[in-house]
Amino acid sequence: MTRPAITIWRHGQAGTPEPLLDIAADGRVTGYTGHVDLGTGLRTAMAQIVAEELDIAPGQVSMVMGDTASTPDQGPTIASESIQIAAVPLRQAAAQARAVIAGLASARLNAGIDDLDLRDGMIGTDAARLPIADLLTGPPVSLQLDPDTAVKPASDYHLVGRHLPRVDLAGKATGAWTYVHDVAVPGMLHGHVIRPPYAGRDSGPFIGRSLIEVDEDAVSGMAGFVALVRKGDFLGVVAEREGQARAIAEALPVRWATPPDLPDLSDIPGTLRDLPSEKRMLADRGDVDGALERAATTLTRSYAWPWNLHGSIGPSCAVADWREGRVTIWSGTQNPHMLRADIARLMDLPETAVDIVRHEAAGCFGRNCADDVCGDAALLSRATGRPVRVQLTREQEHLWEPKGAAQLMDVTGGLDANGNFDVYDFETRYPSNRGPNLALLLTGAIDPAPQPCDMGDRTAIPPYRIPNLRAAVHDMAPIVRASWFRGVSAMPNTFAHECFIDELAAEAGEDPVAYRLRHVDDPRTADLIRRTAEDGGWQPGRAPRLTRQGQIATGQGFAHATYVHGAFPGVAAAQAAWMAEVTVNRDTGEVILDRITVAQDHGLAINPEGVRHQIHGNVVQSISRAMGEDTRFDRTGARDAEWGSYPIARFEDLPEIRAILMERPEEPPLGVGESASVPSAAAIANAIFDATGVRMRELPFTPERVKAALDGQPLPRGLPAPADTAPPRWRRLATGVGAALAGGLMASAVGLAIRAEIPRVPRPDNIWSAETVERGRQLFAAGACAVCHTAEGGVPLVGGRPMETPFGTVYSTNLTPDPDTGLGAWSYPAFARAMREGVSRDGSHLYPAFPYTAFAKMTDSDLQALYAYIQSLDPVQADTPPASMIAPVNLRPSMAAWNALYHDATPFTPDRAQSELWNRGAYLVEGVGHCAACHSPRNALGAERGGAAHLSGGMVDGWLAPALNGTGPAPLDWTEADFLAYLRDGVSPRHGAAGGPMAPVVAELAALPETDLRAMAHYLASLNDTGKDRSDAAAPLDALALDQPLEMATGPAARLFRASCGACHITGPVPSATAARVPLALSSAVHADRPDSVIRAVIDGLPAVGRPDPRAMPGFGSALTDDHIAALARFLRQTLAPDKPAWDGITEAIGRARQP
Amino acid sequence: MSKMHVTTTVNGDTVEFLADPRETLLDSLRDQLGLTGTKEGCGTGDCGACSVRLDGTLVCSCLVLGVEADGKRIDTIEGMSEDGALHPLQRKFIEHAALQCGFCTPGILIAAKALLEENSNPTEEEVRYWLAGNLCRCTGYDKIIRAVMDAAAELRQEAA
Repeated sequence: MTRPAITIWRHGQAGTPEPLLDIAADGRVTGYTGHVDLGTGLRTAMAQIVAEELDIAPGQVSMVMGDTASTPDQGPTIASESIQIAAVPLRQAAAQARAVIAGLASARLNAGIDDLDLRDGMIGTDAARLPIADLLTGPPVSLQLDPDTAVKPASDYHLVGRHLPRVDLAGKATGAWTYVHDVAVPGMLHGHVIRPPYAGRDSGPFIGRSLIEVDEDAVSGMAGFVALVRKGDFLGVVAEREGQARAIAEALPVRWATPPDLPDLSDIPGTLRDLPSEKRMLADRGDVDGALERAATTLTRSYAWPWNLHGSIGPSCAVADWREGRVTIWSGTQNPHMLRADIARLMDLPETAVDIVRHEAAGCFGRNCADDVCGDAALLSRATGRPVRVQLTREQEHLWEPKGAAQLMDVTGGLDANGNFDVYDFETRYPSNRGPNLALLLTGAIDPAPQPCDMGDRTAIPPYRIPNLRAAVHDMAPIVRASWFRGVSAMPNTFAHECFIDELAAEAGEDPVAYRLRHVDDPRTADLIRRTAEDGGWQPGRAPRLTRQGQIATGQGFAHATYVHGAFPGVAAAQAAWMAEVTVNRDTGEVILDRITVAQDHGLAINPEGVRHQIHGNVVQSISRAMGEDTRFDRTGARDAEWGSYPIARFEDLPEIRAILMERPEEPPLGVGESASVPSAAAIANAIFDATGVRMRELPFTPERVKAALDGQPLPRGLPAPADTAPPRWRRLATGVGAALAGGLMASAVGLAIRAEIPRVPRPDNIWSAETVERGRQLFAAGACAVCHTAEGGVPLVGGRPMETPFGTVYSTNLTPDPDTGLGAWSYPAFARAMREGVSRDGSHLYPAFPYTAFAKMTDSDLQALYAYIQSLDPVQADTPPASMIAPVNLRPSMAAWNALYHDATPFTPDRAQSELWNRGAYLVEGVGHCAACHSPRNALGAERGGAAHLSGGMVDGWLAPALNGTGPAPLDWTEADFLAYLRDGVSPRHGAAGGPMAPVVAELAALPETDLRAMAHYLASLNDTGKDRSDAAAPLDALALDQPLEMATGPAARLFRASCGACHITGPVPSATAARVPLALSSAVHADRPDSVIRAVIDGLPAVGRPDPRAMPGFGSALTDDHIAALARFLRQTLAPDKPAWDGITEAIGRARQP
Repeated sequence: MSKMHVTTTVNGDTVEFLADPRETLLDSLRDQLGLTGTKEGCGTGDCGACSVRLDGTLVCSCLVLGVEADGKRIDTIEGMSEDGALHPLQRKFIEHAALQCGFCTPGILIAAKALLEENSNPTEEEVRYWLAGNLCRCTGYDKIIRAVMDAAAELRQEAA
């Protein structure tokens, strides 16, 4: 690389020179900043500043942002200080470079410096003008930054202050932009981390010391396995591909110690007051105690803010490359230099051996897991010596991100005799620190003792003239991981200030806007407040207006804040004022934001459209936080792991927004990244008060909480917290065949000999016609033999699938014609005896899990065909594990007695009164198809119950096998067409889709000719003729109308359903290829007598079934907690089957489904 | 489980790949085909960041298996501009600065294009409901709606 023609640099903190700006010989300019673009347009604005000082086209300037190898350490990109603070040296460097260029031009053109003018990249006088590049032919110039360099006066600006298109947008709109998620390094492997059960916690002696054991051998043979890396509680696996790493991580058996209980975090005021804190006085002026004693009116109030998630749309990701004692990390960090120090500490390297290459990531607005995942990738890369990419799961991101902290503000204040705001005594509690890197904590590299920090004091002083004022912050160690989030501590503090002044105005009987104005000294603040009220159409009033029509109340609310950030007393960023207009449904507590008018005074706007953009983003994000965000914890840790349980604002929640940019081009630019968020919650709370007379002093303003406040009840916090939550185990699409088959009563196992052995024979070879073998193949499929006789992930047909029965564990046997371990030495009579009588070749009894009771109905000719097909298979040697049955089932006489009681070995006899089709169907269903094995209830001894109970439904593997005899609670009758569709396509749009153990059965049935499927459907439909009107059975379903109750329902469970399940189960007007094919209103599972199938489908998902368009449902077991799933089950039952009794045993059913 | 051979048409080009039967279409696009414009946000169909079109129908590619794409047509963000010319929606998104971090943008653009093909003159309400399955944390939604409405107007003019 050639040296730049001009370089301006400064001494960094470590004494090494850091470049701020250079100009290449061709005139191209590069600016360097340690701050990063968080998608807010900073890259464009910084280039704009440089171009302005140098008077060149912005396209000539490129910015290097956040790469630690080349950019100055300017601390984290936080608190909206990039333009206000970080851009200052950059601007000076540009001005200094401009002076260098002017000097060169003066010498070259023999003109006085003052006579030169620099425009559009050309410098000179009216007589002669040169491109800058022509001056850069001499030796390189390298100058230390002179902080006294004069910069351009704002009055001369022609670029800054105008709209400039953002440089990043085209790439982002075409998919070409390289986010950190898209970085690929040659030879890159993929890592997946396994986090401890104490989700989202980072202090206490158990941190880094809870991993008891991990069974690497159980996964080291899996496809793509490269390494398992363990250090303290850090645990990760590396594989060739991302999906492999995930599969290995999910299969890895790990045992963790149970963490100590968290305090009850649903009680924010109680918990925050009880925990240790260090009180730090921020201000104490006048005589607060005296003024309180003298006050005409005093109010004491508490305001509480919940824990919030940053809620980045993309989960964090990083790539690390460890090479010969150096590590390079491609990262989406918001604080590259801080991360470099953390990684150096983690790897025990000097900082100079760590390079952070910064790429954009999904918007974060604080500190999410972006840095944590860099530590993960670094550890995995060092262990494997290869580049490793790690992307967290959505669940990991939600659970582990350092939260925006909960906060408690206790206030006492008062009015003097004239209604003046005379005294304010403010205390705020902020349990947060800077969120130490998780890898440092998990590996034990740093002490996990609770550490407070001093960031709770932002905007702790209200922007009003108050003669007697005391403000203190209680610095507290975090209870759960917490760090800065947009409007750090200022949003909660302002919520208290601005609600309180509203309460005082009401006490004083004055209009809230006029009352604020009367206590404001700064004319800019007064202008801002007036302009907001005017443009918003503020209607002055001395008391809440309580405007309502019936149960619908409307109100307006006001709030204002000057966002003060940085260490106390801090630096003021832009100030903003809000006027919120709301509609409140007093019946339901629902609050609709009709319109937000927000004005902002930010001094000079570098890029006005960019500022407007920031205002919009702040408004919607902050109303999302105020109206619905509240992440919750159980005794173990964080529990909201997806967007259903932590809903954020959607398109339909968007109010009308009027953004007003105050024109202050003569004033220095102020940070705009957060200011417009700060007054939000108070403005909304004040509007709710104006509408209803009720003060909301705790966020969020969900319908349930507003309703409770209207009713004078204590405020609920979302869904009730469970006592304990099982650790999540399942994830992703449940697509494996028979993912949940274990536990069925369909297996065979070998008992003890009681009958005569039938001698071994040599394996019969090739003595059957192709037609016979083909017929055997179809029968084999009709019996779905492969389903039970193949272990999960094992070799097909060699058995070994374990099944829990009420009597112990049995294993299916090897069906291949291997002479020693399979059926190779079985003669046909031995095979037929087993099929008809349940007796193995050696004379031992088979357990009735093997459905010989059904197979006995098969014809000889079919049994022979089946035998022929089995003998035509490739033999595979594989032993079957012995069954472990409980007494007395393990005793040989008991099976013989069982057979005497329950087994009817009579072959099928056709019913001459019925059609041929019917008889064929009956033969398949009752014989080789052995449908009753699952779809009939069993008695205490494991026998299918007959008579009226035959095919009346049963339980298999925790799934309900619905009734096939018309006695089930399905809302619509099963017709022949329904059965045919279900057996052939795996789904009947009028009833349900094949899930659980039925899914692989449908897959097997694909081998049958449609005539046989139709026969089965015909027979089954004949059992289902309940006399209901079927005239409309062929009519198309209006799924939208059927599931409308789901869309109309209110309450937290309804919201959870819509956010978590709505993508497929509420299609609305949008056609989607994943729209559920069965309206839940018709689902057999929802109408069943027990909740098991609904719960299993939610936890495990449904495998891909169906022809010609297979469709799967992902499992949500790892994303949803037990109480979420219980709420969903109750919600579906209540909403869609209101005429049926509520389900009992939901909790127990979830527990069963969670069993490994 | 053995890999399955998948033949599909992506943005007009015939492509073939070997998919693990558990692999989502999103993984196939990003990892097998190197089309990283489609983003993963949640993996459970909640956020819409991975929206693509499958035989013309809008779909979260994280909810579809790669093998399901066999014999079908897939359209992703990479295929939205034609011969280097941005689609009017893309131009309007840039003009209105309807994106910040941009992570959700490909999904929203794909969904918006599906909307405008179905309904060339949507009301603001219809735009909101159509895009309700796409989450965004940065922009505040408003500019996105303006950009879609504006692009719709332009497309109608072109058609007229």
